[in-house]
Amino acid sequence: MKFMENFRKGIPLLILVLLVICPFVFSSPYLLHIFILIFIWSYVTTVWSYMGRFGIISLGHGAFFGIGVYTTAILFNLYNISPWLGMLAGGLAAAAIAVVLGYSCFKFGVIGHYFAIATLVLAEIITLVIIALRDTLETGGKLGLTVRSLGTSPLFFQFENQLIFYYITLALLGLALLIWKKIDDSKVQRALKAVGEDEEAALSLGIDVVKYKTTMFAISAFMTALGGTAYIQFTMFADPTTCTGVGLSLGIVFKAIIGGMFTLWGPTIGSALIVVLEEYTRLALGSAFVSYSQIIYGLLIIILIRFLPGGLHGTLSDLFRQKREREVQVLLSGRQLADPHE
Amino acid sequence: MLRVEGLCSGYGGFEVLQNISLEMGAGETVAVLGPNGAGKSTLLKVISGLLKPASGKIYFEGRRIDGKPSHEIVEMGISLVPEGGRLFPELTVYNNLLVGAYNKRTRRHFKESLEEVFSLFPIIKERQNQIAGLMSGGERQMVAIARALMSRPRLLMLDEPSSGLAPKIVASIFEFVKKIKERGYSVLMVEQTVKKAVGLADHVYLLESGRMVFSGDQTSFLNNPKIKSSYLGI
Amino acid sequence: MLILNAVINGLLFGGVLALMAFGMNLMFGVVQIVHLAYGQFIMVGLYLVYLLTVLYHVPLLLSCALATIAIALLSVLCYYSVVKPLLKAPPINQLLALAGLWIVLENACLAFFGATYKGVQVVLPVLHVGEVYIAASNLIGFGVGLITLGLLYLFLNKTYTGVAIRAVAQDAEVSGIMGINSRTIYLITFVVGGALAGITAACFVPVYAVHPHFGSAFTLLAFIIVILGGMGNLIGGFIGAFIIGVVTSVSSTLLNPEIGQIIALLICLLIIILRPQGLLGVRART
Repeated sequence: MKFMENFRKGIPLLILVLLVICPFVFSSPYLLHIFILIFIWSYVTTVWSYMGRFGIISLGHGAFFGIGVYTTAILFNLYNISPWLGMLAGGLAAAAIAVVLGYSCFKFGVIGHYFAIATLVLAEIITLVIIALRDTLETGGKLGLTVRSLGTSPLFFQFENQLIFYYITLALLGLALLIWKKIDDSKVQRALKAVGEDEEAALSLGIDVVKYKTTMFAISAFMTALGGTAYIQFTMFADPTTCTGVGLSLGIVFKAIIGGMFTLWGPTIGSALIVVLEEYTRLALGSAFVSYSQIIYGLLIIILIRFLPGGLHGTLSDLFRQKREREVQVLLSGRQLADPHE
Repeated sequence: MLRVEGLCSGYGGFEVLQNISLEMGAGETVAVLGPNGAGKSTLLKVISGLLKPASGKIYFEGRRIDGKPSHEIVEMGISLVPEGGRLFPELTVYNNLLVGAYNKRTRRHFKESLEEVFSLFPIIKERQNQIAGLMSGGERQMVAIARALMSRPRLLMLDEPSSGLAPKIVASIFEFVKKIKERGYSVLMVEQTVKKAVGLADHVYLLESGRMVFSGDQTSFLNNPKIKSSYLGI
Repeated sequence: MLILNAVINGLLFGGVLALMAFGMNLMFGVVQIVHLAYGQFIMVGLYLVYLLTVLYHVPLLLSCALATIAIALLSVLCYYSVVKPLLKAPPINQLLALAGLWIVLENACLAFFGATYKGVQVVLPVLHVGEVYIAASNLIGFGVGLITLGLLYLFLNKTYTGVAIRAVAQDAEVSGIMGINSRTIYLITFVVGGALAGITAACFVPVYAVHPHFGSAFTLLAFIIVILGGMGNLIGGFIGAFIIGVVTSVSSTLLNPEIGQIIALLICLLIIILRPQGLLGVRART
């Protein structure tokens, strides 16, 4: 048992080591590209699930991602400010919006699907703002913008070598997972779980629900915006449909649902599946058929919500857990029989 | 007419009713009494199909009805007046009565039912175009009883018809119940106001924390020494 | 004069918007579901009219009627496949499943019709009364909208089924003990809601050439109106539609259209937070 336990704990480390050495084994630029996309979306989805796992479903994370993307790009393109600073600026802007919206929502009891709707409206507002600033801040409106290229310039977060992005985005994902773990072990987790079950009870226990929720929302928004910066520095091109808005928000949520939003690895698994599915249909059918992958993906969502609300990974690990719990129970009852005085 | 056998039911694992049995004949008026939280309302909810029983059987006119959806149970001839009346607040009184006669069995008798209800409660005829939500508590309770009668029930169930009403209005509500009883309806009533309810009942049951603790007629109820001290304050 | 023009055309357009919002509102009021894919139904309706008229040369009015029936059927399909299995699920799951439907419908249209604008050429005159110019398309939409809403009013107040729909919206549990099978009422509501989406699409035919992204724009527009009037509040939605009609019309005349929309959405956000019962609503829904 002990060995199994250690083995289970060792799996993430093993995966990490494999991923770190992976690029040396397969140096295909295309594969690297796919991996980077998987890392970025896994990162964003994991960060989204910080809230999602407690039943605070945001449909506005597309907005935070877009804020990261566009703040970085505009500050650099127009004012020559390094994207490293842009990253911070975007993160803070996203966090500020999250604090204002989150605090007012949680304060006035806008929860559940009403919160989802409020954040969805935010996503649409940010998209429209970006489009409306097509000339003022050269966002390019619906046509999108291109980041000025400097070749390789570490100070300006530009690298021609994809490998660097591979490690940066992998590190981001690692960080997101680590923070997920930290939250899971913390007091905040217990508080928010209590909130998920009974808001009034939590209040009577003296847990400042509004504060915890708002903080979590702000952290999640901040980190989502960082993902946006990484994305734009990698692709060097942004447009409102792919980088912000309701569509992107839904994309994030769906990745989490497919993988399972309540577990550590669920969001990563969901993102990997979706990115691969999208790439596969693009390669197999041509880019004109990307919409087919989206149709499959939408249907998958409906089916999953209907039959497996815990998501793929969530449901599978629930099954395993139940099995383990049964084993533990057998073990305990066995011991009780052997030594009733213990 | 109605027979409940060994009924158990509850919400989310918490058992509210434990092994309840009850029987009533046609034309009888039965009162189920008991303190708050004894499970009286739950009993009516289970009979009317709003709640599924965990175990036990319910027969109505020889047919088993437990577990059937509420809209089918109305069709069979059982009608419930929920606690507080629960009229549709934004509909007019007339439309509330219309909904009362919704089921297939009674819809074609709507006009006759309406006449009967109007003859029982002449005030309703005057108020038929009023929005239900704007009426007083007593009026609402009256319309709620009228609405239940629109489904031409053979068994009328009343869930605490007196709750939240001023004593004077309570008296008039019980006057209505008496009138209904005299018209030959079977009435199953759940109440906290013991004296008035017992006065109308042919048979009395006492429910305490989910268990039936007494069953008997009016006189044996009123003469039971334990009940005397704890419920009648004598 | 420009503003007066915008106000009048906005008011007229409000008639169609009222129709559009009514469908979403009805579904929220009765089934307690936020129909996130409602705008996509309207979009599919527009594509169907295009398909029938332009590609199969069916007369315009007939194809509008056929599209309306088809959307009502699509709505029934949506009820059985997405909504009914999730009636007892948490609202957020219903919302997300309908968002899934949104993605499916949008991309299905993208796959079949491509990303270009598809429209039916309907030449309608622009009428002018004095110095006010009125688009005949708006006038038709206004007429159709008001007539449909009038019929709906009669349906909901004078027929057994209509009154039962309202009863379920007000108290589903008590409706059950009145002999109403709420599942049947939900189905009828989806038929009516779907038909309304179809009629709205028909009214939009002379106004818009359709694009797959229009669905989400329609959903959001309906959404803003419904929230403005109070979710489930049919009269509030009716008034809200005219307000939004005028606001968008005037703001897109004076400012650029995005700013008008942003203002509308910000108001919408404020209402969700501060007055969830709607600006014009009197009762709170939980």
